[in-house]
Amino acid sequence: MGSDYDLSDDGEYYDEEMFDGTQDDDSEDDIEMENFGDDFKIPSKGKKKSYEVDYESLSQQDVESLMQKDVDYICGIFGVDVDTASLLLRHMKWNKEKLTEQYMDNLTAVMVAAGASASEETTPSSPIRTHSASSPTGTTTRRPSTRAASKLFGSKPAKPTPSRPIQRQPSKKPDEPFVCQICFNDAPDMQTLALDCEHTFCTECWTDYVVSKIRDESEHSIRCMAENCALVCPDSFLRGLLVPEPGAPVGDKEKEEQNLKAWSRLQELFVRYFVACNANLKFCPYPSCTNTVSCPSAASKSSLTTIVPTVSCGARGIGGESQEMSQSQQLGLSIKGKEHKFCFGCPIEGDHRPVICNVAKMWLKKCRDDSETANWIKSNTKECTNCQSTIEKNGGCNHMTCKKCKHEFCWVCMGPWSEHGTAWYSCNRYDEKTGVEARDAQSRSRASLERYLHYYNRWANHEQSAKLSLDLYAKTEKKMEEMQITSDLTWIEVQFMKKAVEEVDKCRMTLKWTYAMAYYLAKGNEKDLFEDNQRDLEKAVEDLSELLESPIEADNIPTLRQQVTNKTVYVQKRNEIVLEDTANGFMEGRWRWNVAVDGFDAPDEVVL
Amino acid sequence: MDARLRRVNKEIADCKNDKTSQIKIDLFDSSPFHLKGSFPGPQGTPYEGGNFEVDIIIPESYPFQPVKMKFITKVYHPNVSSASGAICLDILKDAWSPVLTLKSTLISLQSLLCSPEPNDPQDAEVAKHYMTSKASFEETARYWTQIYAGAPDPNRGKTGAGGRDEVAIAGLERAHVDKFEDMGFARSKVIDALRRLNYRGSNVAQISDERVVEELLK
Repeated sequence: MGSDYDLSDDGEYYDEEMFDGTQDDDSEDDIEMENFGDDFKIPSKGKKKSYEVDYESLSQQDVESLMQKDVDYICGIFGVDVDTASLLLRHMKWNKEKLTEQYMDNLTAVMVAAGASASEETTPSSPIRTHSASSPTGTTTRRPSTRAASKLFGSKPAKPTPSRPIQRQPSKKPDEPFVCQICFNDAPDMQTLALDCEHTFCTECWTDYVVSKIRDESEHSIRCMAENCALVCPDSFLRGLLVPEPGAPVGDKEKEEQNLKAWSRLQELFVRYFVACNANLKFCPYPSCTNTVSCPSAASKSSLTTIVPTVSCGARGIGGESQEMSQSQQLGLSIKGKEHKFCFGCPIEGDHRPVICNVAKMWLKKCRDDSETANWIKSNTKECTNCQSTIEKNGGCNHMTCKKCKHEFCWVCMGPWSEHGTAWYSCNRYDEKTGVEARDAQSRSRASLERYLHYYNRWANHEQSAKLSLDLYAKTEKKMEEMQITSDLTWIEVQFMKKAVEEVDKCRMTLKWTYAMAYYLAKGNEKDLFEDNQRDLEKAVEDLSELLESPIEADNIPTLRQQVTNKTVYVQKRNEIVLEDTANGFMEGRWRWNVAVDGFDAPDEVVL
Repeated sequence: MDARLRRVNKEIADCKNDKTSQIKIDLFDSSPFHLKGSFPGPQGTPYEGGNFEVDIIIPESYPFQPVKMKFITKVYHPNVSSASGAICLDILKDAWSPVLTLKSTLISLQSLLCSPEPNDPQDAEVAKHYMTSKASFEETARYWTQIYAGAPDPNRGKTGAGGRDEVAIAGLERAHVDKFEDMGFARSKVIDALRRLNYRGSNVAQISDERVVEELLK
């Protein structure tokens, strides 16, 4: 792979962290900066944090050059042309080793399976196909030629011709005029094309076919149009169809545009396929983003128990144009055109640090399945104080009889009914000892439900706040303008507000996931420490939020600015502490869960 | 001229000129892109003697995308939905090739009637029937061919239907027939009405009892 450094060994990685290997990191960053175009801005980090992973952002061109490297390699060792090598690699899911092995083993079979050369047997076995083939349709007329071509090829299987010429034959045939079997056009000046199988059709039909395959089916492996012909169109053939030769007369403008669009879509499909085949790569999930991230340290499933591979694809909104934009537009861009942050290890959108993929997934599933039900149960039911069955009261008086254990109790005070006598519709005994005890028992049995809702509500709260951050950005922007008017601060000087909002947003994300983490953490000192850190961060974030909401008066702006700046730095620090400590904990194997999590020891005891 | 139109016109003309294949393609209305194909049931199969009609829709990107075909005539076959007429055939999906024509596709459908693929069924109920008792399946298929595809009834004139289970042969559920028979309708009438309404599979949920009774009272 094209990664400049290899930090897949966690031990080494951690040591470096301990010895503060900043020098190394910096020099590597410099190299990276040189390698990437303007679209790619790697944030310069003085020191790699333990909660960050090493990754590389790749543009479509970068991935294409990776593909080219593999293709060149195969060309070199097999002595085949680029087209054949590409077809073979795509067929083998870009697994060079497997391809080499099978190629050495049975060259002809691999070539046929990849659609790079015609197969020898063209007689279909299925009765359905036989039937249609023997019918007097166009298909039969060409059968003999298919066979002849494949035999010709089969006679010298050891050396596939290095450059397979595309047949660009003039349509004139000595005896009969050529009729395209697809459009039934028989114009004498018609351009025709065929692959090695010599199934000849007119160029227009080929183009329409290829465009339809690419555009409508997102297919990158396009077979010959003839029925049951397994040959796949090589890249140069497709290029010839879709990309007009330089200097060629300009034809139908609309059609040409459509062809070029299909060609660029095809390139994207090739890249996507390559990325899908390679565990070290992941395509950016943001809509219409074509970048790829390479993160070898998170490629294996087992690595996901120790790291949270949050990566960003390097694209930041619309690159290049930001200079000419007004200040407000820039702010808008920084919100909508946020970095494309995503998790390399799982399909969860955005950043789920500090909690690892498996636990985050578990939590999301639980929330989807349980949260509404749990809320309903909480507000509509009570538990029988004797057998803990969940009971919904759907009418009648307060004298309840549990259907299950026949225990009789009062719905209002939860005490046994025996003490109530005949006061069926009123309970004035709320403070009686037995009632208090019964309610205690009830609350204990509710603990697990309450516990879940405690974490869920906080999680949901931060999620909601994060969703409202767009509003907050807009509000802050207004405030910033206001500040410029009421005080003599410049635009640059009021940026502290924006910085603070961004930090709050980021920390809310962290906080949100700390609640998912805390829900599953096993009780103990580690969890207490974790929750202490969480509490500190939460307090800091809320303080900062409050400051941001506070009204602006001309005379308090300097103090406000001082306070906000201070708080922002503090919040930033608390956030880092939470992330770093959790990440270190994962690497040291310090965390214990109260449920079974893949890749971790089973929980010691089920105490929640 | 539009390449698609030219091709379709040529295909229709070719079919008209070809007297040997017995495949017919007709227009539904004035549009050449919505057609009705028909072919005789293959000999030596339960579909022999019937005439099977197929609804054909030519998509915008034809012939680069497959035609859309479904049976108009009800067919009792594992790869054809007994409720909707939808067909499960590879060449109508991913194995489609632009050199295939309407005629060759219809011939493929004809061949499909000869050689069912119960392991890749469209209608799971029918496929189960086929797998468990081929003889009984064929009997039903033959009966459907007579009722829906106009095949001559070999038993006509003979007395009674013998031990044949009319309900099973009609492809209906005994419980459904019993339900309406219990309302006081004659059994043969119920079978007839339910068959007309195609009261089977997922259709049952969509057809209300009132609708059935209405049909029975006709």
